[in-house]
Amino acid sequence: MKGYLARHAQVLVATLGQFARHPAATAATILMIGVTIALPTGLYVGLHNLERLSHGWHRGDGLTVYLHRGRSDARALAAIRRLPGVRAVRYTSPQKGLAEFERRSGFGKVLTVLRHNPLPGVVTVSLRGASPARLHTLAATLRRLPDVGHVQSNRLWLERLNATLRLGRRLVMILAVLLGLALVLILGNTTRVAVANRADEIEVIRLVGGTDAFIRRPFLYTGALIGAFGALCAWALITLGLAVLSGPVQRLDTLYASHYGLVGLGGGSALRLVLLCAALGWLGARLAVGRRLARGRA
Amino acid sequence: MIECQHVFKRYPGGNEALSDVSFMLEAGEMAFLTGHSGAGKSTLLKLISLIERPTRGQIIVNNHNLGRLPPRRTPRFRRQIGVVFQDNKLLNDRTVFDNVALPLVVAGVTGDEIRKRVQAALDKVGLLARARSHPLMLSGGEQQRVGIARAIAHRPSLLIADEPTGNLDAAMSDEIIDLFRDFNDHGVTVLIATHDWRHIARCQKRVIELGAGHLVTAA
Repeated sequence: MKGYLARHAQVLVATLGQFARHPAATAATILMIGVTIALPTGLYVGLHNLERLSHGWHRGDGLTVYLHRGRSDARALAAIRRLPGVRAVRYTSPQKGLAEFERRSGFGKVLTVLRHNPLPGVVTVSLRGASPARLHTLAATLRRLPDVGHVQSNRLWLERLNATLRLGRRLVMILAVLLGLALVLILGNTTRVAVANRADEIEVIRLVGGTDAFIRRPFLYTGALIGAFGALCAWALITLGLAVLSGPVQRLDTLYASHYGLVGLGGGSALRLVLLCAALGWLGARLAVGRRLARGRA
Repeated sequence: MIECQHVFKRYPGGNEALSDVSFMLEAGEMAFLTGHSGAGKSTLLKLISLIERPTRGQIIVNNHNLGRLPPRRTPRFRRQIGVVFQDNKLLNDRTVFDNVALPLVVAGVTGDEIRKRVQAALDKVGLLARARSHPLMLSGGEQQRVGIARAIAHRPSLLIADEPTGNLDAAMSDEIIDLFRDFNDHGVTVLIATHDWRHIARCQKRVIELGAGHLVTAA
């Protein structure tokens, strides 16, 4: 067992040495793999951020009711409170709405030109157990109230977004599978070339009693390590991309008075990515070297 | 040590390299395998070292019936024999030391044991001082001696050589053959393919002669 581990450690060191002797070629392969992996992974990260955003909105899940201007907001509010299925209401008076709008939009000065406050009173209604059916029923009931002007379902919009995100996730998955296949093919081809370059060495190793496993081992290590380094490269590319985006996102956050920020690839996901890519690299190398070794066996 | 029984080898295309070859080489013996170019010497050595398999017939080497040895057992079998090639098949991007260490490395020998055995083998062929050199920095005779050191590093009981002196001048050739005789004196069974009758006359060892794929003499 100790000898077995020592042999593997030896191959690992030898493989890294091989990389160090051909830094340009190794870097090019790693970068190629990195870009290949960064594409679906980057999309995944982007999608994940969008999903976080929509999760944030889930909390505001419910209905927004715009009241008629110039009527009694108090009466409307009381009527809404009495409706079955309503869990809580939050009322924003026209004055408060205007103040908030001034603060957030930066149109403060312009708004003073208006003689009347153009905003209606707004009631945000949250529901007990907000199933889409209940939401629709309640929206219809609300629309029939005399003091209600307009009812808007946050939920419908959210569901459309979620459906779009689901589609996006599916697309990312397809892309990931295709580019995973590309990774296997790239490393398969790299290995094929490497095996051809070392045909003499393979022949001699065979002649002095080296097993196929012994011959395969350095190629498998190369494939797995290039895959892993490629994944790290992809991770670096994505982190870099997020760093470039973080400035504008922060600005947006400030403008929307929100605090989403961007999340990158977490440690666990990054580790999974590295392991997955190492496995795919190993697979590509295994397929290529296996095909080659099947020839010339006595 | 080596027992061939009615061995035939036919290559695709109908070329019959060996037909009905039978002979026996006892453990501890040394013999020259001779014959003109194309007589089947190399083919016979390839069959004995399991680089190729016979079309018909039985070959038993070191108590292994090669016909019954599955391909996955081939590497383990090869570790029991040492083979010297005419073109020495050294790896030019590795040092002399690493070349000689190769059969030990593939057999799973590690660390200090490798160093000891490689030094012993290089000492035997008189190249201990060139351990850090690369093969291309050595003369033809020295390269061939590295090949021999590699063939004996794992202490095989059978040593096979295919035209080991083919590319060397007379003095170097004699040195090489003397090395083989020395191994034989230490109990190693030796089979050398050569078409150089000078060695055969000089050494007074057994001669197995092939002619057009047939056994001519096995005395």
